[in-house]
Amino acid sequence: MTKKYWKGIDELKETPAFLETKGQEFTNPGSIEEFLSDENLGESSTERRDFLKFLGFSVAAATLAACEAPVIKAVPYVFKPENVTPGMPTWYASTYYDGISYASILVKTREGRPIFIKGNKDQGFTKGGVNPQIIASVLGLYDGERLTGPKVNGNDSDWNTVDAKIKASLASAGSIVFLTNSIISPSVLRAIEEYKATYAGKLEHIQYDSISYSAIRKANLQSFGASIIPSYDFSKAKVIISLDADFLSTWLLSNEYAIQYGQRRNPDGEWMSKHFQFESVMTVSGSNADQRAMTRPSDLANVLNYLISKKVGNVGVANNLSSDVKAVADAALASLASVGTQALVVCGSNNEGLQILTNKLNQLIGAYGTTIDINNTVNLYKGDDEKVHQLVSNVIAGKGPDVLLMSGVNPAYTLPNGQEFAAGLKKVKTSVAISAHMDETASQATYVCPPHHGLEDWADFRAKNNEYAIAQPTIRPLHKTSSTLESLLVWLGKTGRGGKDSKVAYDYITATYAQMGLVDFNFAVHNSCTPVLSKETAPLTFKEVQVAGLPKASDLEVVLYQKAAIRSGEYANNPWLQEMPDPITKVTWDNYITMNPKEMEAVGYATTYDQENGLSLATLKVNGNSVTLPVYPMPGQALKTVGVALGYGRGANGEKIGKSAFQTKEYGGYVTDENGNSKPIGANVFSMTKFENGTYNYYNSGSISSADGEYIIAATQIHHTVMARHSIIRETTLGIYKNNDKEAYNPAHTLQKLDEHGKHVNVPVGEFDLWEEHPVEVVGHRWAMTIDLSSCIGCGSCLIACQSENNVPVVGKDEVRRGREMHWLRIDRYFASDEEATIGTRKSDDIDYDNAEHPSLNPKVVHMPMMCHHCNHAPCETVCPVAATTHSNEGLNQMTYNRCIGTRYCANNCPYKVRRFNWFNYPSYKKFTEVNPAQDDLGRMVLNPDVTVRTRGVMEKCTFCVQRIQSAKLKAKIESRKVEDSDFATACSEVCPTDAIIVGDWNNEASVVHKSSKEIRAYQALEEVGIKPNMWYKVKVRNEENKELAALQHTSSPH
Amino acid sequence: MQKEAAIREPLILGHKTYHDVTEDVCRPIEDKAPRMWYILFGIALIIGLYGVGCIMYLLGTGVGVWGLNKTIGWAWDITNFVWWVGIGHAGTLISAVLLLFRQKWRMAINRSAEAMTIFAVFMAGLFPLIHMGRLWVGYWTLPLPNQFGSLWVNFNSPLLWDVFAISTYLSVSVVFWYIGLIPDFATIRDRAKKRVSKKMYSILSFGWSGRAKHWNRFELVSLVLAGLATPLVFSVHSIVSFDFATSVVPGWHTTIFPPYFVAGAVFSGFAMVQTLLLIMRKAMSLEAYIHTKHIEYMNIVIMVTGSIVGTAYITELFISWYSGVEYEAYAFLNRATGPYWWAYWAMMTCNVISPQLMWFRKLRRSLMFTFFISIIVNIGMWFERYVIIVTSLHRDYIPAAWSMHYPSHIDIGVYIGTIGLFFVFFLLFARYFPVLALNEIKTILKGSGQSYKESPEYHKHH
Repeated sequence: MTKKYWKGIDELKETPAFLETKGQEFTNPGSIEEFLSDENLGESSTERRDFLKFLGFSVAAATLAACEAPVIKAVPYVFKPENVTPGMPTWYASTYYDGISYASILVKTREGRPIFIKGNKDQGFTKGGVNPQIIASVLGLYDGERLTGPKVNGNDSDWNTVDAKIKASLASAGSIVFLTNSIISPSVLRAIEEYKATYAGKLEHIQYDSISYSAIRKANLQSFGASIIPSYDFSKAKVIISLDADFLSTWLLSNEYAIQYGQRRNPDGEWMSKHFQFESVMTVSGSNADQRAMTRPSDLANVLNYLISKKVGNVGVANNLSSDVKAVADAALASLASVGTQALVVCGSNNEGLQILTNKLNQLIGAYGTTIDINNTVNLYKGDDEKVHQLVSNVIAGKGPDVLLMSGVNPAYTLPNGQEFAAGLKKVKTSVAISAHMDETASQATYVCPPHHGLEDWADFRAKNNEYAIAQPTIRPLHKTSSTLESLLVWLGKTGRGGKDSKVAYDYITATYAQMGLVDFNFAVHNSCTPVLSKETAPLTFKEVQVAGLPKASDLEVVLYQKAAIRSGEYANNPWLQEMPDPITKVTWDNYITMNPKEMEAVGYATTYDQENGLSLATLKVNGNSVTLPVYPMPGQALKTVGVALGYGRGANGEKIGKSAFQTKEYGGYVTDENGNSKPIGANVFSMTKFENGTYNYYNSGSISSADGEYIIAATQIHHTVMARHSIIRETTLGIYKNNDKEAYNPAHTLQKLDEHGKHVNVPVGEFDLWEEHPVEVVGHRWAMTIDLSSCIGCGSCLIACQSENNVPVVGKDEVRRGREMHWLRIDRYFASDEEATIGTRKSDDIDYDNAEHPSLNPKVVHMPMMCHHCNHAPCETVCPVAATTHSNEGLNQMTYNRCIGTRYCANNCPYKVRRFNWFNYPSYKKFTEVNPAQDDLGRMVLNPDVTVRTRGVMEKCTFCVQRIQSAKLKAKIESRKVEDSDFATACSEVCPTDAIIVGDWNNEASVVHKSSKEIRAYQALEEVGIKPNMWYKVKVRNEENKELAALQHTSSPH
Repeated sequence: MQKEAAIREPLILGHKTYHDVTEDVCRPIEDKAPRMWYILFGIALIIGLYGVGCIMYLLGTGVGVWGLNKTIGWAWDITNFVWWVGIGHAGTLISAVLLLFRQKWRMAINRSAEAMTIFAVFMAGLFPLIHMGRLWVGYWTLPLPNQFGSLWVNFNSPLLWDVFAISTYLSVSVVFWYIGLIPDFATIRDRAKKRVSKKMYSILSFGWSGRAKHWNRFELVSLVLAGLATPLVFSVHSIVSFDFATSVVPGWHTTIFPPYFVAGAVFSGFAMVQTLLLIMRKAMSLEAYIHTKHIEYMNIVIMVTGSIVGTAYITELFISWYSGVEYEAYAFLNRATGPYWWAYWAMMTCNVISPQLMWFRKLRRSLMFTFFISIIVNIGMWFERYVIIVTSLHRDYIPAAWSMHYPSHIDIGVYIGTIGLFFVFFLLFARYFPVLALNEIKTILKGSGQSYKESPEYHKHH
C-alpha cells in the first residue's frame, strides 16, 4: 500500500477550484499585456512620481557605480620629439667641469629631464672615473635657489639692461680684471683673447682656484722652466709615495688617478702596487695605503730629504724623523730599490720648496717618462696665487680695477681675507659676478649674471693638451640664465642675446673647433671628446735648484684639508653631499677639528660620541682668527697636529646659497642667529689659510683651547673596529696570499656532521639547510654581486649614485644623528685595534673586548660597502607577517612597499642591518622641507621615474637596481638573446672607479660575477649564519710585511 | 562541601556568614564611591589621556617620534608589549590551572587577577598595533580572503602567530572571566534598588536564576574553559618568545626562551596581582578574604618562578660561553659589561636576588615587604625585556651598525599612559564589578572559614 500525500486541504477535499487548476503549471495565467492594459493600473500605489524617483535613483546609482577614482592624465606629445620615447631613457655623452673636477660623463635623461650622471668609460682620459660631486651635480640643476635671471645691486633685472650697463662700464673703464677659475675652454680663452685685443693694455685675466696648486707649477717652472702640471700615471707606478696628497679623493684629477690606482690593486694582477702615505690627517688615500706614517706638515721636507739622500746613496744620513716615520721611509726606500723607474712620488702641499724636493726625488727615481708625462700637461689648476694676492690687496685697499668681472670664483668665501675682500668689492666701480647663487661674492657685486647649469650649456674643454672635449646641453635652460661664453661675447659687442634657444655659444665653439683644425664636430659631440695632436715642444730638462721656504715646525700644526664630499664648499648646498658620510669619520653635515684620540684623552676631550653624547668643543686660534668646533677623535692623526676641513660655514651672512646649506631644527625650519639669519653648517676656515712664499698654503700654526659645552655630531657609524670578527673582514698580506693556500687567509666555515659511516666529518656550512632551498641554483637568472675589499677605496661615489638612482630621501642632520639615514648602500669603515694582527684577525684567542673597541694609534683601514645581500635564506623574509618581503625566482630579495605594514621585524632580523625604515613621510613632513629635494616641485624633477618614492611606515632597502634588471631583461628579450654582462650594472657598480663592485647573472657561468665569486679570495660575510647570500666579498690584500699576521695565517703543508 | 584539616590556616578570617560575604563584596558597588576613588581615577585618567595623546601624535606623525633607529627596530614598544602580556599571565594561571589543581585559595584572588589579565592584555595588544608603520593596513595580518591578488599572510612569521595567540588568549580570558561573573552579577542585580543599575546588572547577569541546573552548567563550563585556558597559559608566552627565539639575532636565538618566558610571565603576573591586591584589600576592607596566607602562597609562586627565571639567566650565560659562538658569547658579555650593564644588573638584582628573600617565612608573610618586592619584580621584569630586546639588537653582527637606544618623551609617554589606562580600567572594575567571586567564596566558607574551623560543630565531625 502506498501512502497518499496531499498538498493542501483543497486537494484532499478535491474542491472544484482545485480541480480546475490542477493541470496548469502556473496558476495565474495573466500576461504582461493584460497587466499593462489594466485600466486601473493608474490607481495602483506606485505613482508616476515614484516611478520617476526610482528611475532617477537607478540612473544615478548606475552612473555612480560606473565612476572611478579621478584619472590623472598623461598627455601625449602632439609632436613627439625625436629620440624621446616616454619610459625610455636617452643617454648623452658630455663633459663635466666645475673648476675643480673634470670628467667625461654620460647623462641619463628621461622625458627630457637629466636624472643620472655616470662616467664615460669609453671616451676621454678619465676613463669613466667620476667622484661624488660629479654624480651629485645633477641635483644642482634642480636647485630652487639657483638664480633665475640677472640682478643689479641685488634686484631682479633683465639681460638687456644688464648687458647695456656692463658694456658701458667696460667702454669707460681704465682698468679691467677678469678673475676666473681655471679656464680650460678654448672658446672662452679665445673670447678673452679678443677682449685683450679690444682693451689692449687695460685688461688683465687672472685665474684663481679655490684650492690652489700653484706650487706645482712654480716648482716645475724652477725645475723644468715650464709652469706646468704634468700627467701622472698611477697605473704604471709599482711604488707610490704620497706626501699629504689625497690623490684618490681630492688632489688634482683624483677621479682619473683612482681609476689608474685601482688597476694595480688587484693581487691577482701582473703586479700590485705598493703605496706609502705620509700624511697628518687620515685621508681616503691614507686609508688605502699599504703603509702609512703619521707625518706633520713640517716633517714632509725631512721625509723628502731623507729619501733623496738615501736614494743618492748617502749612508748614515742624519735625520730627525721619528722612528715610526723612519720605518715607513726605509720600507719605501727598500721597495724603490727593486722597482727601478716604475715609481711615483706626489706631494699635496702647496709649498713650492716641497714640490721642488718632490721633483728632485722623482728625477732621482727616473719617474719622468715612466709614471709622469711631462709633455701632456694638465690645463686645470692654473691659478696664479701671486697675481690673485696682488689683486685682492688692491681691492681691499680701494685701488681695485674699474671693472672686476668674476666667473666661477667665490673669493669672498675662499680667500684667507675674504671678508675684507667682500668689503673692498663695494669700492670697485663695477663688479660683475657670473654666479649661479647670490653667494658670498655675488651678494656684494654690482651685477650678478647667472650662468647656465653645466647640463644646460654648450661648452668645450681642453683639460689635457692631447684631448678636446665638449659638453652638450641635455635640457633646455630651466631659467633665464645665460651661457658664460655668450655673456662674454655679448659684452664684447660681438653678438646679441639668443634667448633660451641661443646658438651663440654653439656657433662660437664650432668656430673654435674649426680653427683648431679639428673635423667632424658632430662626431666629437657624439663621443664628447676627440684627441688633439699637440705640437712638438722642446724637451724639458731637469735642473737642480735651491730650496727655500719650507714649512716650519710649531707646537700645533693646523692642517686645512678637504673632505671627500664637500671639497672646498661649492656644493655646500647639495643635500646628497652634505649627507654623504665622510669616508673616514662617517660624520655628515658638519666639519670639526680632527685630533688624535690619544692626545684628546690627555686633555680630557670626549673620545666617544653617539646620538645624545656629543664631542667636546674647542677653540682653535690661527692668524688671530678663531673658530669653535667639536673635536673629532681621528685615529692616525699625526701627533701635535689638528685638521679642519675647508668648505663649511657657507652663507654665514645669510647669503642665499641653497636650501640645504644651513642648520635645521629638530622639527624643521632653520636654526637662526640673533639677527634672524640662518646659521651655516660648520665654520669657514679659509681664514686660517695663509699666503706665504708666493702661494696659498693650507697649513698653519695655531693653538687650541677647550671651550665650554659639547656638540652633538651626526655620524652614521659610532663604532669603529670590527671586534676581530674574521667572518666579516678578512685581510691578508700579499706575501701570505702568494705563498699559502686559501685555508691560511680565507678558511671555509665548517660544521661537523655524521657521514654515512657514522663518522664525524667537517663539511662546509653551505651544505646545511634549515629551509627548503630556493630554486635559484641553475634555473633562469640568479643576480649576484661581488665586492673586492682590496679594490674598494671608500670614495663614496657608489653611495651617491645609489641615492640618485633609487630616489633615496635625504633626512638631515638630526635624523642621521638618531641613526636613521636612509642610504641603501653604506660603506662600513673599520680601523684596526691593538687586539688584532690585522683587521678581522685576532692576535690571540683571548682578546680584551674593551681594548678591541679602540682603534690603534695609527690604524689600518678597511672600507666595506654594505647593502642588501639578497640572501637565499633571507631571515627578513621568514619573519614578515604579511609576506611583504619575498624571494624572487631570480634570487632577489624583493621588498613590496605596498604590502608592508611596518613592523620592522625584518630589519631587526637582518644580520647586515641594511634595511631602512621610513620613520616619517620624507616627501612631505615639515621636518624635511629644507633638506629633502623631493619636497619642492623643482627638486622632485630629479627623481627617477622607474623607482617608487616610498611613503611613511614602510621598509626599503637595496634592490640590486631591479628596475635596471627588468629593462636589461626586456632588451635581451626584444633582441631574442640571453642577458649578458654588458646589459646590466647597478648604479653602484657602474660608477665604481676601481671596479670593486661586480654584478651579474650568477647562473651564467661565463659571467664575470660567477667567476669572481669562485675566486679563492671570495668569501661570504657571516656565512656561518646560514643565510646564503647572493653576495661575495673578496679578501683585502695589503701589500705589506706583517710578521704577526704571517705567524697566524699560514698553512703548514699545502694540501 | 569543602573539608579540610583543622591545622590548616583558614582561608576566610573572622566570623563571616554567607550574608556577610555578600555584604562585603556588594558594599563598595552599592555605596557611593569614596573620595579616594575619585582622586585615583582622576589621576589615572589624566595619565591615560596623556598616553592617548602621545599615541595620536605617533599615529599622525610616524614611528620616528620614538627613539628607534636603523639598528634598533624595536625597543620600548615591544618591551612594553611583552611586559604587559607577561603581567596578563597570572590571571589565567590562577583561574584555570589552580582550578584544575583545586587550589581553593585562588577564589579570593581569581576575579581581580583575571580582570588584571584582561586589562593587561588590552594594554599589551596596543603596542603591536601602534608599533606598526602603517596601522591602517594592520588588518593584513589577519588571514582574510581578499581581492589584493591572491595575497595571504606569511604563516612562517612568529609575529603572525602572535596575532593568533594574543587574540585567542584575550577572547578565552574574557569569556572565562565573564562566565564567573554571571552569578555574582545576579546577586548584585537582586539587591539593586536603583532602576538603572538593576537594569544594567540584569542585562549583565544573563537571566541567572541560581537554579541547580544553572549551577551545574556553570561548573561544567568553568571546567571546560579551564581545560581550554590551561594550554594557553603556556602557549601565549611561548609564542611571544618565538618572536625572538626564531630570529637570527645573537641573544634572541635561544631555545630556552619558551619555558623561560612562561616562568617570567607568571613571575611578573603574580607580582602585579600582589601589588593590586595589597592595595585593594585595604581600600575595600577585604582583609578577611585576602590575608597573609594568600599573600604567602603567591609569594611562594613568585619565589619558585623567580628561581626558574634566575636559572634560565645563568643557563643562557653558560650556553653563550659553552656554545663557542663568537656573536652569542659577545652578546652576553656585552649585556653584562657593555653600555647597558646597568639594565642587566638591575634585571639580575630585581629578578634573581629579590625573590630569594622569600625563603624567609617572616619576609614572605610581611605585607609591606611583599608590596615592596612586587614592585621590584615588575621593574626587574621590564628590564628583562629591555635587556633582551635592546642589548641584543644594539650590538649584533656588524659592528659598523652598532648603535645606542635613547627613548624619546613619546616612548615614555605611551608607556606611562598605558599604566594610566590600565588603572582606569581596573578602578572602574573595582567600582562596578564584584571584586571577589562571592558565590564561589561561599562554597569554601564552611570548609575553610575561620568561624567554622573554630566552631564546635566543625570539631564534632573530626
